[in-house]
Amino acid sequence: MIDPRIDRTTGVIVQGITGRAGRMHTRLMREYGTHIVAGVSPKAGGDVDGIPVFANCKEAVAATKAAASVLLVGAEQLLSAIEDAVHAGIRLIVTPTEGMPVHDALRARRLTQEAGATWIGASTPGMAVAGEAKLGFLPEAALIPGPLGIMSKSGTLSYESGFRLAQRGVGTSIWIGVGGDTVKGTRFAELVPFYAADVKSEALLIIGEIGGSEEEEFAAALTAHRFAKPVFALIAGRSSPEGVTMGHAGALVHGSRGGYAAKKAALEQARATVFGSLDDMTNGIVAWHAARATR
Amino acid sequence: MFLLEHDAKSLLALHGAPAPEGALLENAQIAGAQLPPAPWVVKAQIAAGGRGKAGLIRTAKTRDDLQSHLGAILGATHKGMAVRACRIESQVTNVEETYLSFTLDPVSASVRVMLAARGGVEIEALAATPGALKSALAAPEPAALNAAVDELTRGLAPHIARALNDAGHQLARVFLTAELSLLEINPLFVRPDGTWLAGDAKIVTDDDAMFRQPKLRALLDSRASAYPEAHRKERFGCDYVVVDPEGEIGLLTTGAGLSMMLIDELRALGLKPYNFLDVRTGGLRGDPARLVNVLNWIAEGPRVRVLFVNIFAGITDLGEFSRLLLEAFAQVPKLKVPIVARLVGTNLEAAREFLAARNVPVSTDLEEAIAHVRRHLA
Repeated sequence: MIDPRIDRTTGVIVQGITGRAGRMHTRLMREYGTHIVAGVSPKAGGDVDGIPVFANCKEAVAATKAAASVLLVGAEQLLSAIEDAVHAGIRLIVTPTEGMPVHDALRARRLTQEAGATWIGASTPGMAVAGEAKLGFLPEAALIPGPLGIMSKSGTLSYESGFRLAQRGVGTSIWIGVGGDTVKGTRFAELVPFYAADVKSEALLIIGEIGGSEEEEFAAALTAHRFAKPVFALIAGRSSPEGVTMGHAGALVHGSRGGYAAKKAALEQARATVFGSLDDMTNGIVAWHAARATR
Repeated sequence: MFLLEHDAKSLLALHGAPAPEGALLENAQIAGAQLPPAPWVVKAQIAAGGRGKAGLIRTAKTRDDLQSHLGAILGATHKGMAVRACRIESQVTNVEETYLSFTLDPVSASVRVMLAARGGVEIEALAATPGALKSALAAPEPAALNAAVDELTRGLAPHIARALNDAGHQLARVFLTAELSLLEINPLFVRPDGTWLAGDAKIVTDDDAMFRQPKLRALLDSRASAYPEAHRKERFGCDYVVVDPEGEIGLLTTGAGLSMMLIDELRALGLKPYNFLDVRTGGLRGDPARLVNVLNWIAEGPRVRVLFVNIFAGITDLGEFSRLLLEAFAQVPKLKVPIVARLVGTNLEAAREFLAARNVPVSTDLEEAIAHVRRHLA
């Protein structure tokens, strides 16, 4: 089973730590509580804000026993950076980078699966266990601890959703941005067993979008696993034109495939509540949260 | 990106894969055009299925037929897309129609090979006929794909097996070397002697691999006007799509998912957004240039009456963003519309103060901002 759980003690590497984004996000992740123990960069030796910088993950793991890695490298280097992490035995790999070539993603998925590592991304703001640690960019204003698990293809739409819920007092357990690419490391359906078992997650919100078949697969997995917790869903792109990619590579609809109606029907068949707007979603989840508190 | 048929066939030709002779016409002037031998098939070039049923594929025996079909098809719209060009192709006779495709299977991280001895109909119809469509998954390597093709063509009539085998091996290489996401030949014409031709070609390329695909890049650079969205993304670093040419609300937004959702919500309220945009505020780097470009594109919308800025930024400094926004706005005098801003994120107070002093109301609440937008449209 995929297990993306992290906490304040999980040792984390930042690959690409000496770059502009690497330095900034290392600082922001540490401020949130992430235990960053090492950096990796071709400019090895020395440190970034006191964090030692190694030439590769193998050396970083040998020196620090890191178990997770956040990869802040360019799309062209992403596959080889993932290979570096996998070969060093890293079990959780988070890759925010946008624009990974899809055939590279295919190879990275095969590689991480064969090695038994969990790969989150690419094109993701990352993931977080609220109140513990975050791997990536999720905004602190949206991250208060609570009972709602969140999975999302879109970064910004999940920020908006998480922020509205946080403002109304609904916090999150574990929040995973699976990313907007067609071929990715971890898909919605693959996280169903984890959320079913995770006692801190009392309900699940998935934020999907048109294109691909992840929402349909997720719906099938809910039924197959007899997922008993409430499931809420928001799907972006119901008014998007066919044949045009709307920003995310994965959000491309051909004919009836990948369309909004099919996704909504599949989710409702699996007893998920599909909301038509952000406001309805917020109100619906707040109502669930309030009812739960009075039980 | 989804290639138009003509460009898909040009890409196949670069890799030595055969198709009927064809020419692209962007207007109905056939005098002087280099046409392939008659009779012809006139095929509308748009990125949507169902062209045949919509009357956008027609046969022509004479130049008069050709002229009248071009007149009828060019400028027609189908699924919201205007036909801006037609491929004029020599009609092929005495062939059987078969099916072959390669797609990515994101779950198994493999390539799915599908083929059928009878093609020419929609894949959904093929899939619904028991035993018609044969399918296999293979690792993304030439040897594995060839083996899958060999296995799937076993037991077919000899001339069909030979054609699908040859086509399968050749197109597997194209799929891998050009780093395609979809390569579908339907129909794949098979002659009695077992040679083949691509009757149609659907190709989805990977924009993200373009940096190492020089052939594809050269092809698409020569056809930039046919793919304005992809061209913009590459040149300007942001995603922009006109979703409704009659739209009244210009959107300056960041993030693909949130931008799509905002369009959905505005439309559900009966409002008319003009464009989709993922401006990527993280990539502005203190320079208003990208915003100037975006505002110029929005200014092309003849009915745009308000600019709605919606930025929910985890990292972006909203104070700096606000300064860049107004700097850019001042450089696009033809966009004479009021601005409504909805901002959430770092340094919000500085942004609010700065914009308020210039008569731009700032909301943090999306519904409140939409109410402002409605007032400007009333």
